[in-house]
This record gives sequence, structure tokens and C-alpha cells, in this order.
Amino acid sequence: MSTNTSQTPAERLRDAGLYAPGDAVLSVRDLNVRFNSENGVVHAVRGVDFDLMPGKTLGIVGESGSGKSVTSMAVMGLLPETADITGSVRFKGKELLGLSDKAMCKHRGSDIAMVFQDPLSSLTPVYTVGHQIIEALTVHNPTMSKQAKEARAVDLLRMVGIPSPKDRLKAFPHEFSGGMRQRVMIAIAIANDPRVLIADEPTTALDVTIQAQVLEVLHTAQEETGAAVVMITHDLGVVAGMADDIMVMYAGKPVETGTVEDIYYNPRMPYTLGLLGAVPRVDTSGKQSLVPIEGTPPNLALPVTGCSFAARCPMVSDACLHGEPELFPVPGVEGQTLGHKAACIKADQLSGDADAHKIFQAPPKPVSKFDGVARAERAKVLELKDVKKHFPLLKGALIKRRIGTVKAVDGLSFDIREGECVSIVGESGCGKTTTLLEIMEFHPDQVGEVVIGGVSNKVATDHKTKMAMRKEMQMVFQDPTGALDPRFTVYEVLAEPLENLGMPKAAIKKRIMELMKLVGLQPDHVNRFPNQFSGGQRQRIGIARALAVNPKLVVLDEPVSALDVSVQAGVINLLDKLRAELGLSYLMVAHDLSVVRHISDRVAVMYLGKIVETGDVDDVFDHPRHPYTRALLSAIPVPDPALERTRERIILQGDLPSPLDAPKGCNFATRCPVFAALPAAKQEKCLTLEPPLASEKEGTQDFACFFPDGEIDSDMLVVHA
Amino acid sequence: MLKYLMKRSGIYLIMIFLTTSAGYFLAVSSLKPAVLEQEKIPRPTPEQVAASFRGLGLDPELNPWERYVQWLGGIVTRWDWGRSPNGAFVNAEFADRVMVSTRLFIASIILTLVIGVALGVYSAARQYKVQDRVITSYSYLVHILPAPIAYFLVQLGAIGINEAVGQRIFFVTGISTPGIEPGWPAFVDLVAHYAVPTFAMTIFGWAGYQIAQRQYLLDNVNADFVRTARAKGLTRNQAIRKHALRVSFIPVAQSIAFTIPAIFTGGFFAEAIFAWPGIGLWSIQAISLQDVNVATATLAYGSVIFAIGAILADFATTLVDPRVRVQ
Repeated sequence: MSTNTSQTPAERLRDAGLYAPGDAVLSVRDLNVRFNSENGVVHAVRGVDFDLMPGKTLGIVGESGSGKSVTSMAVMGLLPETADITGSVRFKGKELLGLSDKAMCKHRGSDIAMVFQDPLSSLTPVYTVGHQIIEALTVHNPTMSKQAKEARAVDLLRMVGIPSPKDRLKAFPHEFSGGMRQRVMIAIAIANDPRVLIADEPTTALDVTIQAQVLEVLHTAQEETGAAVVMITHDLGVVAGMADDIMVMYAGKPVETGTVEDIYYNPRMPYTLGLLGAVPRVDTSGKQSLVPIEGTPPNLALPVTGCSFAARCPMVSDACLHGEPELFPVPGVEGQTLGHKAACIKADQLSGDADAHKIFQAPPKPVSKFDGVARAERAKVLELKDVKKHFPLLKGALIKRRIGTVKAVDGLSFDIREGECVSIVGESGCGKTTTLLEIMEFHPDQVGEVVIGGVSNKVATDHKTKMAMRKEMQMVFQDPTGALDPRFTVYEVLAEPLENLGMPKAAIKKRIMELMKLVGLQPDHVNRFPNQFSGGQRQRIGIARALAVNPKLVVLDEPVSALDVSVQAGVINLLDKLRAELGLSYLMVAHDLSVVRHISDRVAVMYLGKIVETGDVDDVFDHPRHPYTRALLSAIPVPDPALERTRERIILQGDLPSPLDAPKGCNFATRCPVFAALPAAKQEKCLTLEPPLASEKEGTQDFACFFPDGEIDSDMLVVHA
Repeated sequence: MLKYLMKRSGIYLIMIFLTTSAGYFLAVSSLKPAVLEQEKIPRPTPEQVAASFRGLGLDPELNPWERYVQWLGGIVTRWDWGRSPNGAFVNAEFADRVMVSTRLFIASIILTLVIGVALGVYSAARQYKVQDRVITSYSYLVHILPAPIAYFLVQLGAIGINEAVGQRIFFVTGISTPGIEPGWPAFVDLVAHYAVPTFAMTIFGWAGYQIAQRQYLLDNVNADFVRTARAKGLTRNQAIRKHALRVSFIPVAQSIAFTIPAIFTGGFFAEAIFAWPGIGLWSIQAISLQDVNVATATLAYGSVIFAIGAILADFATTLVDPRVRVQ
């Protein structure tokens, strides 16, 4: 089944040129971490074993609370003193657990280095970037001269791709964007050529295009230093192309380990199987519903008696509830095991052709009454005509001078028909959220026209028309916890919009029971407070609140980005179902293009306040014409290791430019991979004329580019063979 | 940087002018010195009182606006802050009063700041250990202890020491012994007078800084950037000292602005108890003596001190926080 990957470490080792094969650079045995909390002892990590070979990459995958970050912090010795850590962590044979903070400092930053999740808060705001890099050098090389350290810092910054590194040494972290700061973090981590580099969700806080850049930098860093990498992530796509081995964690314990191929193509633990089926994919159209994993992970403050996944597992039987299964080697072809292990007593029932959809009883893809009707024949529920939102940029303390204009939204026109889902995608800062706010604003003084359910904002001057409009359109917010009043019971949350409409009490009660059932919550939970629900359930409450007044259009602002993968799948399926059953239209803003592909019918790609490409989701995703769309799509990692390793990637240079210095011609020219490859004569056109948004032939997507499908500049194209 | 401070100073000048003018109107319309004159024996006639006040520039028959114009004119043209109902010139006494207050408070302001911040750091680094519990409990205790009682306790202690030794080492009240010969004896006398009030104000004054610094540092001890510093190979204490401390000092630096004027102008308890007749005591006396010009002058002084404190805080903030420098 599995390909023989034992050659790979030897090859990488040769590059590193340092260690004999087979010697693990980091080995962890029976690692247990317990925290004292108000609710008793939380057993956060329960027996983790792994060996990290030199130059290899281990991906640790799991949802929040699975113990993956705690494991890495325990290895680094960065857990609070109150944590009770047992087991063994050995670096090249030397035991690290139990070392004093001082003794551990010799290894931290030199032998083992770490890159953290949030680059915005991980650098000290009051010191220059150079100071912080040089500090890492000083700690471990006290004799190094000042000039040598500075030269090394410049080298490091250049290595991680920061332009004009010498000048940037003196810059403070707040003068860098998030992606740039993460590059600095990587520079600090690799400053002393570590043997082990731990990256804890290094790209989770970043945009997809920036994520692609940072992953590329990590790849370079690994090549340059020959370090072994531990990559911690919840995103199965991110590790697919990078990792050699994967460890899937659940409830503080590894539940399946093996090579990437083992895990992705032959999962033997129902959780892994479900997780893989729960992720929508950007490269296939969403004709099948996602695999939902019902329920929530167990509370680790209570002792685990059976299999920790039993409560959510569709294959559960009595035997699963008695005694927690150990990691057993998976019987492979010809009795070979090759290190693929799974903690499931039914591992042998899940052979390579197991279908997650069947096992987890994924619902069929719902069919809407509008599916058969041609788009042109359906009524418009929302139409935007040349909507603009420009913010003046002012300077001066008392007397404000206008020094520029931020064109947050610059001439947006699109419509949404009955029963369809339109998504707006783009990097942060491209104007997605401002567009939503402009629609919600619905004021006659706005620049451009917003028509909701046939009512234009130009005529909606009185309160009554506005109220009627609000009934047509409702919103679901990104953060389900923040969007619900913690002092309101679910009943009060849901009753509020209905009371606003003047509905009688008895009818409200009936409607709330309906709503609870509709979104898959138990109706007798209406008297609970939001904090008694899990994140996924809270988002369901948010959806129920939006649906209370029977709207035609629901605006979804990043509806699933705050949720874990397994929970996300359930919410996406619910949204799909509601759209079909109730004939709803959605306007969705999301940064996760896989989710967009899965649930949308149409998509609009925004860049610096403008739509650069729009059309049917399958047209745009399968045959992107605009270079920005092409880059955006190629930046999304796919949870398929073979594909991920051979795939061509367009890595855009730099960040989204500030809307202030938006160029005169095509907005995208400064970062465009096609523009970079064009001869100077053709470049002139991009710089002076603004490309119109139009389709090439009838029935395909509109795009705003003079040179669609143009050749991509080779510097921006990366393939990992 | 200089331009920025100049700009701030300009804004504060306008604010000082506005608060002082508002204070003058309030004082001139509510303080009636003539009432006190009526209690003199023999009782002067209202005409006599008015005539004597007219001579002092305190004519009770003018309306507040006319009085204000007259008063402001005196300050602008002659730097004359007017006279008290008893005829004393505000200018003459003002400098003495300011000197007394400054000498009384300056050492304890610096000591409370340094000791308070140092103890805050020390206790934060030992959170929930015995040292932290002792220091922080002490700070909270001091917070609820009224200043007069605290100062009396210190005075009692000093007297106790004097009695135990059998000779007078500390003076518990007063500024200096009259007629002391200059040189070494004068210096010893100064220290003997200075020690008790400074000690009292310091040990009962640092609580606020200690609690604030401890709190802000604890907020930062577990910050992501401290974790980064530790991941580089710094020990926990090094990481806290080099990274968390400077960040946590930013809000403390800002709070200095509000504590310095409070000590100066609100220090009348200390001035009264230790018998150092400074500006705080003067302002309270001015109100009870219905003295418009002195009350306004002390108010103006308070505003100036506040502005200086605020500028110092701005300066300190720009020193420790690079994000403020870019403008």
C-alpha cells in the first residue's frame, strides 16, 4: 500500500550532511501534560510518542484542544511551571525534560527553535527587528563581533525574502505587515541553524497568498539549515505538500500516525477519515455534501475510559467503550507495517476504499426548487449598481487636511438571483467587508444604488421601507461568540427580531421551536445561555436568529472561519440545506476559497475595491482568466499529497498595496505575475489604461485583464518536485 | 520630537489660561472677603471695607468681568497676581510657598516612583509567593489608610526613636531651626527636618505605582513576545527583564502625569501635619479667608504642574514606545 519512503531521510540527511541515518534528532516518549484548573486536573496531553528524523518534516494535525500546541510547548520547555509534565523528550539522545530553565536555554533557539501562530503579537513592539534578530545570535554566540552579527542578520532577512534587508534592520515590528513579521519570526528561528524547527500554526493568521509565501520561506529555511521540522496545523492542506509523516491528534492523544500517503490515502481511524471528508476542496466542485462529525471532543478534566472518539464515531460498538485503544500497527500488504499505526479496534475494517460519506452518513446534496430554473428567469433579490465608498485620508491635529483617498469600494456592480449563493473573495483589505457594510447601510446618500427585494436605497427614505428591507435581508456574523449577547437566553435572542415585527407571543413561541429544529438544535435548549453551547451550535443560533423573520437574502460574513474543521462541515451542510429548503439566497464573504467553491454558485474576486473577475463558480475556479484569480487559487493548498507535491504554484511578491497608492492603470500591475513577464511595450498598456470588466464570449465569466491566460513570470512560479 | 513637545506645550498653555480664567470667575463670584471684615472689632463700616478693598484692587462693587479684566491686565502688564484682603502681595509669598512645597515633595516623588516601580517588578516576578503577597498586601493596606493617620504614625515613631536614644535626632515638624549657623550644622539640621516627612510620604506613597507596575507587568509576562524571547534562548527572567518590562512601563509612564500634580497640590495634609507652609496649605487657607487672588494663583500653579507632568509623561512615553515616535 504505502510507498517505501525510507529513502527520503537518507537523501535529506546527505544534504544536511550531519547525522547518521536512523538517529532521531528528537524523540518523544510517553509525554503527558496535566494542568490544574478550577474544574480539576486537565489531562491535556496523554501519551505522545514520536521520533523526528533529521531533515524530515512531521505534521501534527488536530483540532483546537487536541493537545498539539501543548505538546510543542512541552518540548520547548515553555509551559508554565504549574504544568505537570512526565515522560521523556530527548534531543539527540539527551534528556530535556526536567532541565532547569537555564539549562534548557542552551538548547532553545540554537538546537530547537520555534515559530508561533500570531506574528502580530509575537515580536516585542518596542525593539527594532534587527535588535530582536541579533539578540537571538548574541544569546548563543557571546563572542561574535557586532559587525558579524549585523551581517548575519542582514543575510537572514534576505533569506526570508525581505526587500532591502539592511535598512529594514532598523524598522520596528509595527512597520511590517503580518506576513513580513512572520518572515522575521522565521529569520529569528533559523538564526542559529537549529536542528529542529517547530512551527505552530505558522500561517493560520495570514491571507492565502501570504500563507503561500510564508510556506515557501519555511521550505527555503528547511533547505538552508537542513533542520527537521515539526509542523503543527489544523489545516490538512497545509501539511499535505510539506510533511513526510503525519500524526493525527485527538483529545490529547495521537490516534493515527504514518506517512502522508498512509494518512491521506489510507486512513484507518474513523476520525482521520471523517476529518479528510469534512474539508471542502478547492479543486473539485461541491457536488457532494461534506462529512459532518457530530458532537464535541471529550472533556479532558474527566478520565477517559473508552475510545475518546467513541461518542462521535458512527462505527462505535460496545467494545469501543471499554478501554482506550492503543496505537496498533496497521496490517499492510504482505504483512509489512512501515510504521502506519491507528488507535482503533476496527482499523482493519477501514481498508483503502472506505467511503467517509457512507460511514458518517453524510446527507445527500440538497436540491433547490430553483436549481432547474435558468438564472435569467429568476428574480433579483439584490442588485448593486456602481456602488462606491471612498474614505478621505486626513492629516493634522486640529485642522484636518485631505491628503488622499482610500477607495475601499470602487464602483461595484453585481446582482444576486433567487436561490443562489454569491461569494466575494479576496485578501484582507480588498473591500469585502466594506461592501457588506454598504449593503447593510442602505441610505439614500450613498454613492451608487443598492436594490434589495425591488426596493432601491434612493427611494427608501422613510423608516417603514427600511424596516421592510431589513425583513428581506439578515446577516450572520463571523464570530458566533461575540455576536450573541451572553446575558440573553437563546429564546430571547430569537424572540427579539420577531417582537420587533410585532408578532403575538404565542406565534413567537411556535416560530422559535420551528427555528430550533430547522437549524438542528434541540428545542428544549431554548432557555440556555450562549456559553452553554459549543462554537458550532452558537453559529447555528446565529443562523436561526437571521432566519427568524423569514428573509429572502442572508448575508454571511465569514460564517465558518471561527469553527474547527469537523464542526465547520456540519454548518456548511446546514447552510446548503436551508438554501434548498427555504429558497434562500446568500451573499457570502469568506477567505477560505475551498468553502466558497463548495457552497457558492457564483463568485466575485475583489482586489483593491474592484471586482477583477466574476462568474459561475466552476468557470472561475476551473478556468481562471485574471492573473490575480490564478494566483489566489494556486495559493490554496489541497489535502492531497501527490497533487500538492507536483502542483505549480504562483507566489505573488509582496503584500496587498495600500489603497492609497493604487496605481493609475490596472490596480494589480504592481504584483502581477503576467505583467512581470510582458515586454515593455505591452506593460505600458497595463500602466495607463484601466481594464474593463467584461467577458470574452457570451456565457462565461467576466474579468478585468488585457492579457488573460498570459505567461507567468518564472520567478513567481514554484514547483516542488 | 522637539517640535512635538513644543506643540504639546502650546496646547497646555491654552488649557492653563482657560482653567485659570474659569477658576477666577468662580472665585470672584463665590468668595466674599467683605463678610470676614465685618467680624473685626471694632466693626468697620461697609464703606470703609469697600474703600480699603478698592485700594487693594479687590473692589467689591465691580462686576466679575471688570474685576477679571483688571486682574488679567495686572498679570499681563506687570506680572502682578494681585493682593490678599490683608494687603499682602501674592507675588511676594508665592515664590516662598512654591520653594517650600518643592523641597518637601521632590525627594519623595522621585523615591516613590523608583521604589514603587522596582517593587512592582520584584513582586510581579514572584507572583503569589511570600514576597509578592507581603508587598502587595502592604500596598493595599496603605491605600485604605488615610494620609493624616499614616503621617501621625510616622511622627510617633520618630518621637519614639528620639526618646529611646535620649536626644533629638529627628524633627517631626518644621523646616529648619531658626538661627542655626550655616555650613555643616545647617546641613545636619536640614536632614533632621527633612527625614521624617520624606520617609512618611515615601513609604505611604509608592503603593499606587507598585500595584500598577505589578499589574501591567503581569499582563505582559505571558505575552507572546516574551514567549518568543524565551524560545530564542533567554531565561524566563531575562525575557521578562528585557522584553516585558519596557512594554509594561508605558502605561505607568502615562500615569505619572496624574500623580505629580496630585502630590503637589493635594499635599496640604503633609504640609499641615509636618508644619511646612507650602502651596497646598496656602490654597486651603485662601479659600477659608475668602482670598480670590491667592486661590486663583494656586489654581494656576496646579495647572502648570499638571502640564509639566503631562509633558514629562509624553516625553517618557516617546522614549520607551517607538510606535509613538512615528508621526
